[in-house]
Amino acid sequence: MSRLPKDLEARIAAVAPSGVDFSTETDALGVTTVWLGLGNHAELRPVADLILELGGRLAMITCTQPSAPEEEEEDEDEDNEDGEAKEPEPKEVAKSFGGTPLDGTSYEIDYHFDIAGDAVTVVAFVPHGGAIASLTPLFRNADWHEREMMELYAINVTDHPDPSRLFLDASIDNAVLERLIPFSTLVNAASTKDLWDRIAANKKGAA
Amino acid sequence: MSHDHTPTVAPTYSIPVGPLHVALEEPMYFKIDVEGETVKHVGINAGHAHRGIEYLTTKRTIYQNVVLTERICSLCSNSHPQTFAMAAEKIAGIEVPERGIYLRVVADELKRIASHIFNVALLVHLTGYETYFMHMMQVREICQDTLESVFGNRQDIGAMCIGGVRYDVDEKSIAYILAQLARIEPEVRDFIKTFKSNGTILRRTKDVGVLTHANAITCGVVGPVARGSGIDYDVRREATYAAYDRLPLMVHTQTDGDVWSRAMVRLEETITSIDLVRVCLRDLPGGDAHIHDRPDIPPGQAIARTEAPRGEVFYYLRTNESAQPERVKWRVPTYMNWDALRFMLQDAKVADIAIIVNSIDPCLSCTER
Repeated sequence: MSRLPKDLEARIAAVAPSGVDFSTETDALGVTTVWLGLGNHAELRPVADLILELGGRLAMITCTQPSAPEEEEEDEDEDNEDGEAKEPEPKEVAKSFGGTPLDGTSYEIDYHFDIAGDAVTVVAFVPHGGAIASLTPLFRNADWHEREMMELYAINVTDHPDPSRLFLDASIDNAVLERLIPFSTLVNAASTKDLWDRIAANKKGAA
Repeated sequence: MSHDHTPTVAPTYSIPVGPLHVALEEPMYFKIDVEGETVKHVGINAGHAHRGIEYLTTKRTIYQNVVLTERICSLCSNSHPQTFAMAAEKIAGIEVPERGIYLRVVADELKRIASHIFNVALLVHLTGYETYFMHMMQVREICQDTLESVFGNRQDIGAMCIGGVRYDVDEKSIAYILAQLARIEPEVRDFIKTFKSNGTILRRTKDVGVLTHANAITCGVVGPVARGSGIDYDVRREATYAAYDRLPLMVHTQTDGDVWSRAMVRLEETITSIDLVRVCLRDLPGGDAHIHDRPDIPPGQAIARTEAPRGEVFYYLRTNESAQPERVKWRVPTYMNWDALRFMLQDAKVADIAIIVNSIDPCLSCTER
């Protein structure tokens, strides 16, 4: 008893010619959840247009960097040692639906929509260093989500009306979730001694 | 003799409101351009309570995160672990026992009563009606006492776990909760009467901070802010969960979209919450309140939604083979409601800024995580 249009999959497919990975489930209480992977992230805008037309509300945007699928452990050839070094076989990188390499650096962006109580999540795969179109012109509340995404990850959102920082100060490099920031650095004290050295240096400078 | 007739033009200037300001409870920084006494433009500068909790969740196990998510925010502290647990239960296919889902509603609605009365009491405080503020807080204290007696804590009640709830009630505690609700209900009915008739409150809240229905849709607001602008949407009904499909849930809306409407929605919802707790305790099924093992959460992804006191809380959980989640992301109702302030504050009087900001029942620690 989904409240979504019955021909949702066909209508999405009509605006996303590169293909969609469509799955749907309805729970015991009758709430439907749809997952909709895009074959090509450039088709996000027409799909979002359609969802807006269906009265959808943007609920959340999640950006993640899916970890690379674990490699199957290969048996090491022990008699290889005295032989010539084997040419390393080209590694097969797993790919997402649509062919974005899942190498641990690419992004998966999930656009969670609500249509009359049912949830539709549009999934776009973007390679590292790639860009995705802004949905802010369609859904005003995409603004903060996209700004937050740009400071947490090295991802570009094109045509964002105000790509300024949301939570992080402009002096901090972006992509904070992509690198290790030791807690001591985060709180501005690499070590107890460093902090006091800095204070002492400042004091001298002031004198 | 000549007089210098300078034209009387209202001066235009910018005033900072926040991040530390007597009338704001939380460190948000508004850069407000005013013309005389009238607000012309609102700049919002966030980030003063950003703590990196989303990152931290990936360093804790899924079970530890039930504890961590409860500490994101104090007023909707029950909604976070509940929604997080619902996402984990969806991935692992865990079924919460019937008694557990009723007890989840009891915990959630008791927290909602405390949260709503707190927000409306603060509104009364900001109108300068101090005696009534103190009276309302005294009534809210009955609810806080109840939380402390039943759960052992006033704010972070630790009720939720993956697979159910961590508390149970017996005949004595049911009688106690019902008696406490009987004390609160007539008081809340009085609040509603006062809000409909008291000149001090009406003058400061009617037609103040209006968010039109169309702008509410544009901003994607949720919760009492949306319902105050006539959007008839409540996650408990629209995307029902726990036991809400079997309970007499009433969704309250107002049409004016002003500060008063949002307060009235909260007061009427408080009465409904009292009813929901009563029905839950009356129909409480027997059996277990939680599952008795601690299943591993398999790799997968899920979303979950609940209606927190401020509106829809949305969780995304992605798990892999490890005990730690790969990604946890959540969005709280206030996240969109901040932006709606730009519409509400447009052409408002400087003296009303604090009242209007309070009327979205802002939660900054939730927003910035």
